[in-house]
Amino acid sequence: MSNKIPENLKYTQDHDWISIDGNIITLGITDFAQAALGDIVFIELPEVGRSLARGDTFGVVESVKTVADIHAPMSGKIIEVNNDLDGQPDLCNKNPYGTWLVKIQVASTNDLKNLMDANKYTEFCANAH
Amino acid sequence: MSLQKTSLHEKHLRLNAKMGPFAGFEMPLQYSGVKDEVLAVRNNIGVFDVGHMGEFFIEGTEAQQFVDYLITNDFLGAGESKAVYSPLCREDGTVVDDAISYKVRPDKVLICVNASNMQKDWTWISSHVNAFNCTITDKSAEYSLLAVQGPKTEALFIKLGLLSPQENFPYYSVKEGKYLGKEVIIARTGYTGEDGFEVFCSHDTAVNFWDTLLDNGVIPCGLVARDVLRLEVCFPLYGHELTDDLTPIDSGLKWTVKFNKTNFLGKNFLTNYKPKYILVKLSIEKGVPRQDYPVTTEDGRVIGKVVSGTMSISINHGVATALISEELFPKDKQFFINIREKLVRANYHTKPFVVGGHK
Repeated sequence: MSNKIPENLKYTQDHDWISIDGNIITLGITDFAQAALGDIVFIELPEVGRSLARGDTFGVVESVKTVADIHAPMSGKIIEVNNDLDGQPDLCNKNPYGTWLVKIQVASTNDLKNLMDANKYTEFCANAH
Repeated sequence: MSLQKTSLHEKHLRLNAKMGPFAGFEMPLQYSGVKDEVLAVRNNIGVFDVGHMGEFFIEGTEAQQFVDYLITNDFLGAGESKAVYSPLCREDGTVVDDAISYKVRPDKVLICVNASNMQKDWTWISSHVNAFNCTITDKSAEYSLLAVQGPKTEALFIKLGLLSPQENFPYYSVKEGKYLGKEVIIARTGYTGEDGFEVFCSHDTAVNFWDTLLDNGVIPCGLVARDVLRLEVCFPLYGHELTDDLTPIDSGLKWTVKFNKTNFLGKNFLTNYKPKYILVKLSIEKGVPRQDYPVTTEDGRVIGKVVSGTMSISINHGVATALISEELFPKDKQFFINIREKLVRANYHTKPFVVGGHK
């Protein structure tokens, strides 16, 4: 599993991956998350423009048996959502690191410092077993 | 309390199945993936370890009369070597469990009960046996149970010598047979809507049979796929459509209550019973209905709740059964499901979401 965790991304304790471009972050779910959920059958994403406070539930990822909330890793605003997931939620199973959910303009780039890098996240996953 | 294991537990671990607790057992929830497993059963063959289920044997000259008294459906009227699905009711009409009863021999009936209700069923059934000339034995610990399901199962069973090519063995039949010299009970029943068989056998035989099935390309399927398959064809599941507080009439199972029978437990009460609920089948275009989501009218008035909900893999829509209050049942049959505080319009179905291919 560990060799699948890309070095160029950051990670949250909710098993989201994040790529950073200035004050814009792109968020998806990790391979660990999709494997734990199983076949993903539905993804509900927020409206573009929605303001988020850190910890807000802004969407859900549903497998056949489970409903998993997606939380805002930091405060900000939704600027884009991946509409491809509407008909093909299983893209998150097939290619988790190549499939993004939302782009968020973050309120403060300071929050980004708390994210895990690939090494730390590998360790985090190992302890989650 | 530690979880019980079936005879195939080791096999599941070796296949890397995702395991989870169910009715006191550690059971396989899924193997390769729910989609693959569901489609294997609809199009080819899948196998389920359902060794957690209970096997009660009723033996004696009045075995059939006793079972006919226990269940609401017609057991005596069913032919020799037939199986009958039915609820078992209390005198007040509420459902103790639902089960399939098999006429293994004229004086030997096998009742296969839900694992989650086993203790309750045993207490209930054994408390009534004295009035009949028969005995009851719980052989749940001695028996494994494999459900082999899917349109290509018949051909495989012929290949494996469990069925002869010309044999007359229709849906809901049962017989005693041999597999590798060991006694087995084979029934043409299941919980998927597809053609298929359930094989009751010793634990050793189950392990051999499991390996043989997988060697023949049969896909192992877990409880999550099983739940999707049964809900697609609208088979009830105890704890969802059926509970201790509902009668079969509330749960859409009036067809299993045979009032022309001389007597059965619950008959007096059910004869004039007016249902409190109506079970409906609903699907939605987007999203997944889940158990306990409120069902409403267009203006948000709650009229019932979802009792089973999932994503149908076969039709790629969220599907549900829901209990609707009889008094509040909307004449226009317009239903909405409240999903995370949003009302989602639901399609009302009069037929199951998927037509199974059973014979």
